[in-house]
Amino acid sequence: MKYILMMFGDQASMTQARSVDWIREMIRFMHTLNADLEAAGELVAAIGLADASQAKTVRIIDGMPVPSDGPFAESKESLAGYWILDVEDEARALAIAGRVVAFTQGAMEVRAVPDGPPDL
Amino acid sequence: MTPPAAIEDLLRELAPQVLGALARRYGQFNACEDAVQEALLAAALQWGTDGVPDNPRAWLTTVASRRLVDEWRSESARRRREEASALDPVPAEAAASDDTLTLLFLCCHPSLSPPSQVALTLRAVGGLTTTEIAKAFLVPEATMAQRISRAKQTIKAAGVSFAMPAAAELGDRLRGVLHVLYLVFNEGYTSSAGADLQRTDLTGEAIRLARLLRALAPAEGAVAGLLALMLLTDARRAARSDEYGSIIPLTEQDRSSWQHDLIAEGVALLTATLGRGPVGPYQLQAAIAAVHDEAVSDAETDWPQILALYDVLDRTSPSPIVTLNRAVAVARVHGPRAGLALLGTLDADDRLAQTHRLDAVRGHLLELAGDFPAARECYQRAANKTGSMPEQRYLALRAAQVAQSSE
Repeated sequence: MKYILMMFGDQASMTQARSVDWIREMIRFMHTLNADLEAAGELVAAIGLADASQAKTVRIIDGMPVPSDGPFAESKESLAGYWILDVEDEARALAIAGRVVAFTQGAMEVRAVPDGPPDL
Repeated sequence: MTPPAAIEDLLRELAPQVLGALARRYGQFNACEDAVQEALLAAALQWGTDGVPDNPRAWLTTVASRRLVDEWRSESARRRREEASALDPVPAEAAASDDTLTLLFLCCHPSLSPPSQVALTLRAVGGLTTTEIAKAFLVPEATMAQRISRAKQTIKAAGVSFAMPAAAELGDRLRGVLHVLYLVFNEGYTSSAGADLQRTDLTGEAIRLARLLRALAPAEGAVAGLLALMLLTDARRAARSDEYGSIIPLTEQDRSSWQHDLIAEGVALLTATLGRGPVGPYQLQAAIAAVHDEAVSDAETDWPQILALYDVLDRTSPSPIVTLNRAVAVARVHGPRAGLALLGTLDADDRLAQTHRLDAVRGHLLELAGDFPAARECYQRAANKTGSMPEQRYLALRAAQVAQSSE
C-alpha cells in the first residue's frame, strides 16, 4: 500500500527556535531515515519543499487564470515536505510517522494513496 | 563472459558512431535514432549471454539497418526505393569521429530549446536511455520521452540535414554545444532540486562527452578550457559534503581528499591552451578553479590572482553570477564592506532577485563583517528561497550559527 506522510511548519520558525546542534541532528536523522527507507525498498519519494513564503496561488479571476503571491496561511499549517512510501500496511506507515514525530515533536498527517484499478 | 558494465561502456561509446553512420547514410535522423536505440537494447540482451561479437560496431550497424528496413517495409510500397537503398551495406570504414561530431552539432541545433538539446545529446550521443535521463533530471519518464520525441520532430520539421555546420557558423554552433555540456555538468554538480547535492551520473557524463569533444576538436581552446573547468571542479567532489549529505563550503573542505590527478590533468589542459588564441570564459573559470585547487589552505589562497581573473571575466563575459562571485573575491582582497558595496549593484537585477544566491552571498559577507543579526536574516531568506534540500539545510544551519554568535 502507498501512503503519503506530510510534515508541516517552516524554516524560519524552525531555525529561530532551534540550536545549531539540533539542526545538525535533524540533518543526520533525515539522512539516516531516508537511507533506511530506501534500503527497505519502501521509499517512493522524499520531497522537501521551498518555503511557503515563496508560494504562488493561481485563481480564476474574470474567467482568466491569474497567479498571485502566497497563500500567507499560518506558517505552522503549511506543507514543508512529504514522503511517499510503499509499505506493507497502515501500521508500518504509522510507525514510520511515529519515528519522525518522536524527533521533530510536530504532528504529521498520514493518508493512503490508492493505486489505480487493477489491469484487466 | 564480458561483465555487464564493460558492455554498457562499449555500447555507449559506439552509440553515436553507429547513429552517425546511419544518419549520414539515410538521412531521417528520427527513424535512425529509434532504430539505433533498438539495436542497443538487443545488444545489451544478447552480448551478455552470447559474448561480444568480433566487430561490435558492424553488428550494431547491421541490426539497426535491419530495424530501419523492417520499419520501412511495414509502412508501404511508396517506400520501396528507400528500402532498396537501405539494403546496401553501410560503409564501415567511414570516419566514425566525424559522424559523432556532426551528431553532436545536430543534437545541439539552435532550433531546439536548451532542455531539449540536453536531453537529445544525452540520448543520441551519450547513449543513455530515456529512463536514465528522466531519473537524472527528476522528471517522469513520460515527460522526458515526450521532450525527446518533440526534439526529434523539431529537427525533422526544420529540415536540418546530417552535415557539419557551414564554416561561417561553426564558432557559434560550437559555443552552443559547449553550453549544453556545461548545463549537464552544472545540473550534476549542484542539483537545482531534490534531496541530493550532486548527481555524479550527470557530472560523469558531461566529462565523458567533453573528453569526446576534446578528442574530436583538439585545436579548440574553448573545448580544452571547458574540460579543464569540469575536471578542476569535479576534483573537489568528495570534500563537498559529509557522510550525511550536508554541504561543506570550500573554506572548510579537507583538501587532502581532493583528487590531485584530476587537478594535474586540468591544469595541464589549461596551460596548453594559453598563448594559443583568445582566452574565453571557460578558460578563465578554469583558471580560477585552478588557483583554488592549488592552494594548500583557504588562508593561503591567492585571492588577488582570483580577483584579477574575475576582473577579466567581468570585462569579457559580464553576468550577474560573475559579479556575485567577484564580490566574494573583492571581500577577501579589500575587505567585506567593499564586497558588500559591489553586491549592492545587483539588487535591481531581476535575474538574481528570484534566486537564493544573492542572499546567501550577502549573508556570508555580512558574517565576515561581523554583522551577525543582518547575516542571519540573509541566510534565513536564502534558505526560504532555495529548492534544494541540502542547500536549505545548510543555509538554515548558517542562520542558526550566526544567531548563536551574536548572543
